[in-house]
Amino acid sequence: MSSFALKSFTGLRQSPTDQITLVSHVPSSLSLPHRRTSLRVTASRASPKLANRTLRVAVIGGGPAGGAAAETLAQGGVETILIERKMDNCKPCGGAIPLCMVGEFNLPLDIIDRRVTKMKMISPSNIAVDIGRTLKEHEYIGMVRREVLDQYLRERAEKSGATVINGLFLKMDLPEEWDSPYVLHYTEYDGKTGATGQKKTMEVDAVIGADGANSRVAKSIGAGDYDYAIAFQERIRIPDDKMTYYEDLAEMYVGDDVSPDFYGWVFPKCDHVAVGTGTVTHKGDIKKFQLATRNRAKDKILGGKIIRVEAHPIPEHPRPRRLSKRVALVGDAAGYVTKCSGEGIYFAAKSGRMCAEAIVEGSQNGKKMIDESDLRKYLEKWDKTYLPTYRVLDVLQKVFYRSNPAREAFVEMCGDEYVQKMTFDSYLYKRVAPGSPLEDLKLAVNTIGSVFRANALRREIEKLNV
Amino acid sequence: MALLFSPPIFIPKNSSPLLSANRFSLLSVTRANSSSDTGITSPATISVDVKEPHTSTPVVKKEEVSSAVEGEEEMKTTETFTNFEDARWVNGTWDLKQFEKDGKTDWDDVIVSEAKRRKWLEENPESTSNDEPVVFDTSVIPWWAWMKRYHLPEAELLNGRAAMVGFFMAYFVDSLTGVGLVDQTGNFFCKTLLFVAVAGVLFIRKNEDVDKLKKLFDETMLYDKQWQAAWKDGEEDSSKK
Repeated sequence: MSSFALKSFTGLRQSPTDQITLVSHVPSSLSLPHRRTSLRVTASRASPKLANRTLRVAVIGGGPAGGAAAETLAQGGVETILIERKMDNCKPCGGAIPLCMVGEFNLPLDIIDRRVTKMKMISPSNIAVDIGRTLKEHEYIGMVRREVLDQYLRERAEKSGATVINGLFLKMDLPEEWDSPYVLHYTEYDGKTGATGQKKTMEVDAVIGADGANSRVAKSIGAGDYDYAIAFQERIRIPDDKMTYYEDLAEMYVGDDVSPDFYGWVFPKCDHVAVGTGTVTHKGDIKKFQLATRNRAKDKILGGKIIRVEAHPIPEHPRPRRLSKRVALVGDAAGYVTKCSGEGIYFAAKSGRMCAEAIVEGSQNGKKMIDESDLRKYLEKWDKTYLPTYRVLDVLQKVFYRSNPAREAFVEMCGDEYVQKMTFDSYLYKRVAPGSPLEDLKLAVNTIGSVFRANALRREIEKLNV
Repeated sequence: MALLFSPPIFIPKNSSPLLSANRFSLLSVTRANSSSDTGITSPATISVDVKEPHTSTPVVKKEEVSSAVEGEEEMKTTETFTNFEDARWVNGTWDLKQFEKDGKTDWDDVIVSEAKRRKWLEENPESTSNDEPVVFDTSVIPWWAWMKRYHLPEAELLNGRAAMVGFFMAYFVDSLTGVGLVDQTGNFFCKTLLFVAVAGVLFIRKNEDVDKLKKLFDETMLYDKQWQAAWKDGEEDSSKK
């Protein structure tokens, strides 16, 4: 049913021709020793000190990734410019952040509209399972409004010393020499509404691309493409009595009717709910899936008014190239969204921070020029810390989202307390906690049992069809 | 730039068989009323008026959409007939007492009934409701009932085939090499082949299974490859220079 045609993996080798022209910019006579060994981690002590100025870094995109990166850079003494095209942008988003993000990024508690402590997973045959019994008093999933969170992080970056510019990044001229600056072309919007803005250029030493799924920075450096899902969401204001049901509860619907490779959701927001679904393989049918999601939740959202319809692409895996010389991608631009749950806010902010830390360290607080090896340190650290998480979620998605029987088994398994505890631990704190081996064994047996039963029922259904 | 999904023509054109005319959805009021009962004509006409200007313009206006939604409230009662109904499906679970045969529960019947319910729901997805949550758990059916119904027949088939093939293989090997059955079972090469055959049958039972396994293997490797791409192309890049 959902056996998608596997795209053959091409990386960058058969990329379109613009790829080749980019490479030719770099003169082949380049023979500085540290260039050739740029793969191996060489200390940037080989880079010269910057005379009478600090390192200038531009962060393109002012979402969680950009805001976190700009703040860390500014605190580290680097001259930071943050370019954001729409200061009040309401990015279409589930808006869920894990508990650890509040602590790690010192988020004030009033940013969080709701604390979700209960979740309901609903299988294709409407078997509903309650998740969240194992949560402790202080644990929750925070629901935020993106415009509020993004604005807060940007303001904090500004307070730390970053310059925030309201502008639209157009393109970037790559440097001729190894230490020439990048020339950014952007349109700056001054305060007047309706103005088309002024075209400007800026020279910077390094660029962090945090401009989201349709990243222009990524295009400028030829980072390659990724598979993406379309997430479609409707914000619905429902009557107050129905809203109390969703006070601290989020729902996830799985089934072929709702999405062939993802899930449909009802997430509570500040004073309304967001009902949505997503898909990678059947983007053309997204409206059908949205209808089915609304239908499955119908009783609970009846009488609601749709106040907003929105959609956005979600990357499924990282781009083939996440950095190029002194340009690095973070967040959605790099493709750091997990499979299975589609979580991206925390990873965006964390990658922004990690990349900025690498730059601060490599430039010794802005005193030296950096080069690609410093940015590679960020990639290494990122892959080392989070690749296991991504792998596990990928396996979960592959195993449990492939067909209705698999989803039924998934929902059945989520009813198990041990599963819930492990899931929440790894989601809320972003650590893969070692459980007890005996429980793991029981879990394995139960998983096989659930999958077997669900598939057996599927065979029964097929027999009935005949 | 944010990709805002601008629907060309909103819901009304939706005519998939899965969500056919008697399906009720929040926005396709005009479709729903065509085949169902007559008691709903009055609200229907109201929504039809709303829909007219709406379908003529390709760009959806949110206010028109929301007013169509409000017209839905009266519609709720008309589509209960599409829900799954069964005498033995009580309060969101199967009433096992009704499945008794000779004093013992007829698990086969439970399995078939659950399959029927799931088939029904696959074709007519239903809304979940808080008043009647579905709480049936398939693990309530004992493991031996599953074994008896699904594993044993397949095992019988495979063992039967293995026995037939084994008999003739033993005969041919004997006629070609002169090694009798008893000596064959002691021979290391034969034992290896036997081991490979048994392990192979665990995974490959039909011709389609070979392709399935290959695809599975590729799938498992794909995600890792996508992540390692950043490192691979970095090497290429520096060597190009």
